[in-house]
Amino acid sequence: MPEIPAVSRRLLLGGALATGAVAVGAGTARAHPADPGAALPAPTPRRGNGQKSMIGVPYEAHETVRVGVIGIGNRGSGMGEGWSAVPGCRVTAVCDIRENRAKALADRLVALGKPRPAEYGGSADAYAKMLRRDDIDLVYIATPWEFHYQQGKDALLAGKHVVVELPVATELDELWDLVDTSERTRRHLMLAENCSYGRNELAMLKMAHEGLFGDVTNGHGGYLHDLRELLFSDTYYTDSWRRLWHTRSTASFYAMHGLAPIAAAMDINRGDRMTVLRATATEPKGLADYRERFIDRSHPSWKETYVNGDLVTCLIDTARGRVIRAEHDVSSPRPYSRINSLAGSRGIFEDYAGTSSTGGRVYVEPDHSGHSWRDFDSYRKEFDHWLWKKIGDDAANNGGHGGMDYVLQWRIVQSMRAGLVPDIDVYDSASWCAPVPLSVKSLAAGGRPVAVPDFTRGSWVNLRMGLDSRESSMPPVA
Amino acid sequence: MRTVRKFRSIAAAAVAALAVIVSASAATAAEPPLDSPAARTEVAISSVDLDGPAISTVKVTVKNAGPQRMRSLKVSFAGPVGWAVQPAVTSVPGTFGAGATAAAEFRIQVPEKRDGFTLRTFTATAAYTGGDGAGTATATRTQTAGDPFPDLAAAYNNVGITDEGDTEPGDYDGEGNSFSAQKLAAAGLEPGGRVEALGAELTWPDVAAGTKDNVSGAGQAITLSGKGGKLVLLGSGVTSGATGTATVYYTDGTSTRGSFGFPNWSFDPADAHGATLVASTDGRNRQSGYGNQGIAYRVFAHSVPLDATKQVEFVVLPSNRNVHVFDMAIAP
Repeated sequence: MPEIPAVSRRLLLGGALATGAVAVGAGTARAHPADPGAALPAPTPRRGNGQKSMIGVPYEAHETVRVGVIGIGNRGSGMGEGWSAVPGCRVTAVCDIRENRAKALADRLVALGKPRPAEYGGSADAYAKMLRRDDIDLVYIATPWEFHYQQGKDALLAGKHVVVELPVATELDELWDLVDTSERTRRHLMLAENCSYGRNELAMLKMAHEGLFGDVTNGHGGYLHDLRELLFSDTYYTDSWRRLWHTRSTASFYAMHGLAPIAAAMDINRGDRMTVLRATATEPKGLADYRERFIDRSHPSWKETYVNGDLVTCLIDTARGRVIRAEHDVSSPRPYSRINSLAGSRGIFEDYAGTSSTGGRVYVEPDHSGHSWRDFDSYRKEFDHWLWKKIGDDAANNGGHGGMDYVLQWRIVQSMRAGLVPDIDVYDSASWCAPVPLSVKSLAAGGRPVAVPDFTRGSWVNLRMGLDSRESSMPPVA
Repeated sequence: MRTVRKFRSIAAAAVAALAVIVSASAATAAEPPLDSPAARTEVAISSVDLDGPAISTVKVTVKNAGPQRMRSLKVSFAGPVGWAVQPAVTSVPGTFGAGATAAAEFRIQVPEKRDGFTLRTFTATAAYTGGDGAGTATATRTQTAGDPFPDLAAAYNNVGITDEGDTEPGDYDGEGNSFSAQKLAAAGLEPGGRVEALGAELTWPDVAAGTKDNVSGAGQAITLSGKGGKLVLLGSGVTSGATGTATVYYTDGTSTRGSFGFPNWSFDPADAHGATLVASTDGRNRQSGYGNQGIAYRVFAHSVPLDATKQVEFVVLPSNRNVHVFDMAIAP
């Protein structure tokens, strides 16, 4: 088995913090949720000397974006091919602790007519050797969660821009360190939040900016995906890394898929910010029940005790008085959903509902009345994001997850080649991942509100562009 | 792009010569009394760049047209609902003498331009002490893009009339019900027929039964030309609360607003919201065919006042789907 770093005690259930804080939290959960002062604090560390914000900092223009891939499991393998499909992008190096995986991806790229990338592997620190290459502009990290922070930081320190799969880190101090390291190195680090580029999500964002929902008051998103079969698979998640997280942390691991689009529609870090989080969790029943029914008694999982609640819900207040509900449930039997619901004084959008071809439904005044939902189709057509209009067909041919993987990759490459400001920056990435450690903190304190750090250090008040970007072209490939 | 500007202080608008921007001064001389008949505070909003998606900068100027120094000036700015503004309100430091102008800058999130006609309204309010003594002054600025519908028929979006032999296309009330064309004819409302109401000459929709024949209110802008004392609207309401505001824009860039409402086509008192009954029909067409015999389903007229000195250019209907309009016309 590969080495898996010890998980911080702060993420553990049953430690002294959890035991003691339940008592502390008892009776205090009614503190005004919108008052950050009543929440468990989240101090903002001082910005280091000479360290400056990365907000609004464009990429330096690249003729070709050269990508190094770390982690070639299920995700990294597909995304590795995806990078190579984007015009003006080349995968120059690939790395996995299992060398055969690096070779397999290199072989596939060659079979696709691409140049053969350099291969790294065989040890846990093989990626560090890869980072020494000078023909890598962007490092893409798709390893198990416990490696993301260190590998992301090391890539920044090596002078690379970095795209990290969810989450970029699992601890608050790690998130701060990534922010600070990005600011010090003047390199961007962003969460590979493909769902931010989902077609419905982007249309929802543009409808919000148009004002169709009125003043947006609340949003609801998450990651509701029955992963039980995969979690107990002996091959899908290498060494069962993902299931093991369920034995050692109470966190809302992976709600960013639904949280990020809602945050975008609320202009989080662009005029609003998340201030306070409260978490609840149901009992962890799903995995044990599945194991009882479907897993042989000889399976190593029978030595495990699951502590991660089946449904972990984070209620997040914003500075402008909005409320976000972010859910995470991967251990219950249910159809897939990221929820994607946004509501305001004049209407509401709900995804994964209704019968329209887009999968969404809507009700906005004055277009609608009579208390009945309408199909989202015409709205998605009108508010379709330029990225989907421009490359939707390519996305369908090249990318997974309905094409949004390719849209994400295309937009990153385009931004780097054209020298644009990234749609998603390290502040967004840290904010969207903060519920991972904050949910642990809140749950350990009996659901008590915890303050959400302001990773922008005050710059959240400034309106600025983000995912609702202006149309621009991919620079021609020489 | 057309621009409609409207300056309004709490008392009345009074346009004076522009003053230069004057920095704050601590000097305070003896000040004239507040009962001066001089002009009132003027607030103006700069043109807003609507080429979105973008963050546009907007400048709001406040002219102290009153006799006293203006102090404690706070300026707020807002765009269409849902458009983020930074900051929502700002304090302008210093004091401003008579005739001096202060300025505040705001940033606003402008969405991508929509196809068709759009009308964007921006509002700025100055709150202050001194000056003209009114305490607050407000300005609105309306910018439009695209063209209004050429006439009401072009904006038809609802099937309100069906033939008793083919009722399925109808959905006047959101529940699949509609007027009976036969019963309307019996009441004197036939396609293309004249309807006189509240002094206006209106026309009953000249379309076949079972096709779109009325406008369910959603803020549509409709071209309408002429002068007169009032705008008469012909229609009725569904569900409840079929009320709203019609905004009339004139060729000189100004506008007036008037509230009106229609009773529910069946159950409200005929004079609800101040409407006037025009015609009453017996029963209605349901998806299953004609029915509800013995119950009246009605058409009403209502009006909003116009500035009779000005030429009407277009009318913006209420943003209320419950308001159904079959026609509108200008009456003396």
